Amino acid sequence: MKVIKIDKAKWASGVSSLQGTYKIIGPAVDGDAHNFKELAKGEEPDFNFLNTKLSPKSIVFPQSEKMLEYSVDENKEDHHIMKEVKKDYSPRAVVGIRPCDAKAINLVKMNFDTDDYKDPYWLKLYEATTFVGLACDKPCDSCFCTSTGCGPYNEEGLDILLKEDGASYVAKALTEKGETLLGAAGFSDAGDEAAFEAGKKDAEAKITSSVQTDKLKDFSTLDLYNADFWEDLSFACLNCGTCTFACPTCWCFDIQDEVKGKDGVRVRNWDSCMFPLFTMHTTGHNPRGTKEHRVRQRFMHKLKYFVDKYEKGIMCVGCGRCVNQCPVNIDIRKVCDVMNNHVPEPVK
Amino acid sequence: MEAYTEKIREISERLLKDGTVEAVIGYRKGSVENSNEPCIVRSSEKINDLVWDSNCRINLANYLTNRKDKVAIIAKGCDSRNINTQIIENKIKRDQLFIIGVPCSGMTKKEDSSDLQENCKVCHHKNPVVYDELVAAEVEETKVDRYEDVKKIEAMGVEEKWEFFKDLLEPCTRCYACKNACPLCYCPTCFVDESKPQWVGKGMDPIDVRTYHFLRAYHCAGRCTDCGACESACPQGINMRHFTKKLEKECFDQFAWEAGLNSEERPPLDTFKLDDPQTFIK
Amino acid sequence: MKELMEHMGIEPGRLQFSWISSAESTKFVDVVKDVTEKVKALGPNKNFVKEAS
Repeated sequence: MKVIKIDKAKWASGVSSLQGTYKIIGPAVDGDAHNFKELAKGEEPDFNFLNTKLSPKSIVFPQSEKMLEYSVDENKEDHHIMKEVKKDYSPRAVVGIRPCDAKAINLVKMNFDTDDYKDPYWLKLYEATTFVGLACDKPCDSCFCTSTGCGPYNEEGLDILLKEDGASYVAKALTEKGETLLGAAGFSDAGDEAAFEAGKKDAEAKITSSVQTDKLKDFSTLDLYNADFWEDLSFACLNCGTCTFACPTCWCFDIQDEVKGKDGVRVRNWDSCMFPLFTMHTTGHNPRGTKEHRVRQRFMHKLKYFVDKYEKGIMCVGCGRCVNQCPVNIDIRKVCDVMNNHVPEPVK
Repeated sequence: MEAYTEKIREISERLLKDGTVEAVIGYRKGSVENSNEPCIVRSSEKINDLVWDSNCRINLANYLTNRKDKVAIIAKGCDSRNINTQIIENKIKRDQLFIIGVPCSGMTKKEDSSDLQENCKVCHHKNPVVYDELVAAEVEETKVDRYEDVKKIEAMGVEEKWEFFKDLLEPCTRCYACKNACPLCYCPTCFVDESKPQWVGKGMDPIDVRTYHFLRAYHCAGRCTDCGACESACPQGINMRHFTKKLEKECFDQFAWEAGLNSEERPPLDTFKLDDPQTFIK
Repeated sequence: MKELMEHMGIEPGRLQFSWISSAESTKFVDVVKDVTEKVKALGPNKNFVKEAS
């Protein structure tokens, strides 16, 4: 593992020299917050942020993505044939992704990249991307990453971990992809790994919020499913998709055909288990007909089904976006603790 | 505000104890700064969960639609007008409700607790228009120009207007928090979810996004009380009230109508009168 | 309807309403003439057109 020191004075020119080879995607001011966007030539990623409002999941999983195109115009040679839409899969680098969001992309990968099924669209974007993480020295009040199997210096899902250290950055190359990028940027001065250890301890100590997850896997699914707390926890829910759209680990999508004249495209759009339409059957029956059902599904998926299926902990990295953005203040930390500390009724 | 909370708890406890209502719909303290969570209280042990402060933005009338039980509800001026609207539209019956009225001096913004919400700054009905009991003496109503922002847009040129709304909606992710926070949006199937026919595309195309927003606004014409729930719910900070307020202004100018002031009179777009203005028809 | 459409940036005159009885043939002709004239003057609609996907 190579550790490189980058003088801040050389940072901008190094990043900008990558722009011939890579598309650089980084945090930038967007309204009253930061969001990830493709940076123009010479534009520096703005590291003066806590975390971005929307998660960077859209870089590999766009909210609205064309998959296939077709024409039913018989005058065209290739009519009635579904063709993959040509897209740009050239190398790109996300510079400044937080460790929680990088871990989230790894969790999503479990769904899109399995032995049985590989999602070509997601994987092609994923493989084209180099993830340059920025260690989190100033966590937000609502961050609880240290109790979700993540952390402000977590390296999962990253190719490089970057840390601010006074007048320079220290970069740890974690994969070959990472080393290639550092080489291409011309960063080569040796750095000291010790900076990471100290920074990690300080940053972790700043995270005051946490969730308890230790007992989740031991419950029988039905004990949690039939528990009596769901009405109270779901009452306020409006059934908007804010939590699922903001969440870096939510991966559900819906496929639609959009047709204009004789030409059409098949598009996939983010979907949300909070929407009634998500589970609506063509018969008109909806197995998750009430908000209580839907709220229960969201939390059971993240905190129980996923835990049991993959045995990799909960499907939440503790970024706190849903906590902050929920219009009615439904808080996954509270829900998680209520679930974890549930005492099932004894069997009569 | 402390006194409000005390009084709300006192009334609620009495109503639950004497069986007047089965539950009380109110707010409990939130887990993040400047936030409260709407909640339902069914027993007197939970009475002390109920709070009142300037973070009670969400319009509680939203939680009444199609309820069958008898409940108490805490209502600010705007909530009370939306309760009236739900009564007019047969979504709830007046005798199912015990309305605990709260004279309101405005809700503050989630991101800045020293600043009132934009809709509260121009509110003309701070006091509940219908209630069974008030938690405090009525507050003084202010008279300001409600439509300054609408007039600003009206003064723009055609292209400028188009661009204004284009920029306004640019951050929208179509999470639908605005329509779901709205106490008027209770259709069993929203037009955005219809598939036969499909009225609007579901992706992020700006025309589809705009179609959603302006159609939603039309559905609120003559019914909107400018409670601001949509704007306060938006995680992207979009002021979609720019759509609804124009229609509110038109209803006021053309029909001298303000929504939800009583539970008898039907809204202008729902009725026909011989003297309705009709200059728009050739 | 008209008010919000125009508020949002649709040119005045592009959206028009009329009430014509089936017996009012002359009025129908007049209105159609008037509408086409006005809309032709405005040219093809550019706003509210979804780009071919």
